[in-house]
Amino acid sequence: MARLIRTEKEVEGRYEEVWLVVEEDALEQWPDGPLKIVGRGAPRVDGLERARGEARYTADVRLPGMLHTAVLRSPHAHARVKRIDVSRALELPGVRAAIGPGDIEQLTGEPGYQGAAVAAVCADTLAQARTAVAAIDVEWEELEVVVDPDDAVRRGQVHDKRERSRGDYERGLAEADVVVEGTYRTQTVLHNSMETHQSVAAWEGDTLNVYISTQFIWGVREEIASELELPQDRVRVVCEYMGGGFGSKNDPGDYTFIAIELSKRTGRPVRCALTRREENMAAGNRNSTVQRLTVGAKSDGTLTALGGEFVNALGWSGWNASTEGPMQMLYACANVKTTTWGAKVNTPPMKAFRAPGFVEGTFGLECLMDELAAKLDLDPLELRRRNYASNDATDDRPFSSKNLMECYRRAEPHWARRDEVRARSTETVKRGVGMASQIWYGGGGPPSYAWTRVGSDGRVTVVTAMQDIGTGSRTAMAQIAAEELGVPLDWVTVSLGDSARGPYASISAGSSTIPSMGPAVRAAAADAKRQVVEIAAQRFDKETRTLDVKNGSVICSDGGKWPLEDVVGLLEDAQILGKGARGPNPTGMQVLTFGVQVAEVAVDVETGEIWVERVAAIHDVGRVINALGAESQVEGGIIQGIGHTLSEQRLVDPETGTILTRTLDAYRMPTIADAPEIVSELLDIPDAHLTNLGSKGLGEPPIVPVAAAIANAIRDATGADVRSLPISREEMLRALREARERERRGAPAAV
Amino acid sequence: MELLRPSSLDAVDGGVPIHGGTEVVPLLRDRIIETERLVDIRGVVPSGVSGRTLTNEQQLSSDNNYQAVIIGAGTTLAELEASTQIPAALREACRLAASPQLRNMGSLGGNLLQATRCWYWRLKFPCRLHGGDRCHAREGEHREHAIFANDFCASAHPSDVAAALLALDATLRTTTRELSVADLYRLPTEDDRATTTLEPGELILEVDVPAAPRSVYLKAMDRKRWAFPLVGVAATPERTALAGVAPIPWLLEGDLDAATPLPQTAYKVELAKALVKRARAAVASG
Repeated sequence: MARLIRTEKEVEGRYEEVWLVVEEDALEQWPDGPLKIVGRGAPRVDGLERARGEARYTADVRLPGMLHTAVLRSPHAHARVKRIDVSRALELPGVRAAIGPGDIEQLTGEPGYQGAAVAAVCADTLAQARTAVAAIDVEWEELEVVVDPDDAVRRGQVHDKRERSRGDYERGLAEADVVVEGTYRTQTVLHNSMETHQSVAAWEGDTLNVYISTQFIWGVREEIASELELPQDRVRVVCEYMGGGFGSKNDPGDYTFIAIELSKRTGRPVRCALTRREENMAAGNRNSTVQRLTVGAKSDGTLTALGGEFVNALGWSGWNASTEGPMQMLYACANVKTTTWGAKVNTPPMKAFRAPGFVEGTFGLECLMDELAAKLDLDPLELRRRNYASNDATDDRPFSSKNLMECYRRAEPHWARRDEVRARSTETVKRGVGMASQIWYGGGGPPSYAWTRVGSDGRVTVVTAMQDIGTGSRTAMAQIAAEELGVPLDWVTVSLGDSARGPYASISAGSSTIPSMGPAVRAAAADAKRQVVEIAAQRFDKETRTLDVKNGSVICSDGGKWPLEDVVGLLEDAQILGKGARGPNPTGMQVLTFGVQVAEVAVDVETGEIWVERVAAIHDVGRVINALGAESQVEGGIIQGIGHTLSEQRLVDPETGTILTRTLDAYRMPTIADAPEIVSELLDIPDAHLTNLGSKGLGEPPIVPVAAAIANAIRDATGADVRSLPISREEMLRALREARERERRGAPAAV
Repeated sequence: MELLRPSSLDAVDGGVPIHGGTEVVPLLRDRIIETERLVDIRGVVPSGVSGRTLTNEQQLSSDNNYQAVIIGAGTTLAELEASTQIPAALREACRLAASPQLRNMGSLGGNLLQATRCWYWRLKFPCRLHGGDRCHAREGEHREHAIFANDFCASAHPSDVAAALLALDATLRTTTRELSVADLYRLPTEDDRATTTLEPGELILEVDVPAAPRSVYLKAMDRKRWAFPLVGVAATPERTALAGVAPIPWLLEGDLDAATPLPQTAYKVELAKALVKRARAAVASG
């Protein structure tokens, strides 16, 4: 029976109270450990289409008569449009329409950041559209630019201020034997998905078709329908293949509304795609942070107080991600007090970026913990064990499952390499090992639905209007359906990526795709299997409890065996249809993911060059669906984390707010030459309380502890406190100089 | 826009010369170069590496592996990084430059003539190098910028190869003259903002590289591959030259304490000192 509940829903660490109709999750979880298909490594079911160029990404969508758009983006970080004239642009060859401030909400006459969309032109070719945009006549009034977040907070220019506290922080500090303080800084980094943000809008009668590179087909549909005051079913959103999003493609974005409006005005399909340069100006970013942190502890390492003042430089708009989250949640500490400012500055708005807030906050907290360990002369791993939180540290709720202690245990052999690694140091190249813990969400939630269709040939199609953002969701869903239905993996096709072809599916963000969609797919497969078994029982005169489906055949405990296609083949053109829904999350429990990473580095103490030589990643994300896909998520997270730690930074001219690093030669993401040896270990212990799968998400956890683990390894190798990301040559050399001076002054070295 | 493909040097008449296009195309796209005519010079500029004809005496006294070479300006960096005939510093500078794809296209001559990566210049700020009256980098973001000769313009020259050829004391033959690599470059001034002495229409044809039994190129960059030098150091027993430290490739005369770093480039002095010490040690005799 459907049950109506009021529940908390979490995405990217943000909670909201929602009404939900949930269907009971009647299926027992599968036994622990790798099964026949689930838990094993499966190559991508769509790997060949992708490799052959047959997979149709939004970037490949070319509709008959389609027009191309160029967007006039503000050259100023803060300005007012005094006058704008598109008439000259409209007269140019090929130009079909132009829109400006006032035409749609997404075009502004008072841009607060460089790159804000001000006007747009569509034309027969992209070159014509670009030429026309250059011909738009604008008179600007430049306004004052503020880019420094501390400056913004001093001026009271803030979006949000969040204060969280438990216990008595001041008393906790007074009770401490040792207090360590540190200011940590993290930089602005850019998502740089392979596929830039883009849409094609096309009206078909009274239906609007939107092809878009998105992480959330249904969210885009809802937002467009609401903005245009259309019934939701008059908006169809399609995303069959996608070149990544990392959190930056959760909503329609200005480009989609521009394409829709221009399509409305011209009666033609209109494409609006950001260039790489536009992408790196205006498509979102991981905001920079300043973190002023304090920890107090007893001499045995027991934490007595944790405090932090966090400033998130959100940009002109954006939300105040939980940079304080790790400090609030990771350790058992009775007295915690944090203030988190969301500064409003004249830079492009932040967007969620792979564990927003927690990546930044973990860097600060876990470096602070290592500085504390050094001061207490305690083993960093032991310090973390001594402050282990058995229940949710913020509200004492039990965890649905937490195996972080097991992660620490599994980390021991990697941690034990310390002496051997350090011993390989030379006069100029110092080696060391560091670790950091990981905490993050990743439980997913309802609603999410899937259908299955079993044909008379026994082949299975899973239908759900979810999206695969490049993480391999298609493959994982096929594995779940194949496992449940007892058929070989290549009998299963997954049809996804189109809101007109399948039921509602969850957002692919917040590490929620597998925990939200997987249980729905399994339930839909189980529903079909139940019907197959009932049909076989009647046809062969067996009791249903004696029947099962294995490896493409219905089998009976008495030894009977009938190929599936023979059973469903009886029905000729009939099909077996299954449906499934995601059940509720466990009530009164906190669902989180955990892990630990151990990094080994080498540092050239004369040149500041850093080599990340090895990272061991041990994560607790419940049941693993695709061992191969999971491993590549871990590798991707660590490599992206290495970019965040060592080389990536978006630079802004302090005077004008101009984005200086727009191209991929100036904005330095890691290359494969920067990638270390990566040892990926997933506990693969199903969460007994979470859904019929016991799976949590893995998209974000692997990037969370990377920066802190590397920074701590650097401290272990050199005694230098690196407190600013990226740890570029100048930061490394500065920290080394500071360490040398400290030693000269006779202060005890950190190691 | 038209693209001409002349078959002889005599047929080259005006327009913007383009070889691999790895520098010219991005500059065209950013409208820093504006032209109606591109001239593909791949058919007219020599390419390949050849040993210079030596006198009998030179042949007797010199190891064949270390003989002087003449390199066509159209030779790609990819060809040079695999050449066993050229000095180690040049080979290493080519190997550490850019990415394999870029090295497959980029030519030696083009590499010597590439413009700075200064973001203000690339974004067309009205800076001194663009004819304006201030250097935006000096007051703005300049972590990648110059530590020498940076008073007028703080841009840094990005060529690894130029630093290597400077240390190797190479000579260029152009369509009109012969000149040392050092004389190819000039610091921009109030009156003339150019960073090379090349005349309009003048093409680099060949590079004459003296024999160098001991030479080395060391490079510090933001990642392990595919980045311009924060500091590059080329050294032979006679000379040391630096990339990424001045508006032009920089022959180090005297020591690095003479540098005039900006607030965000002080680290480059420390970095350069470490690399220079290592490079000189690597080529020291004995």
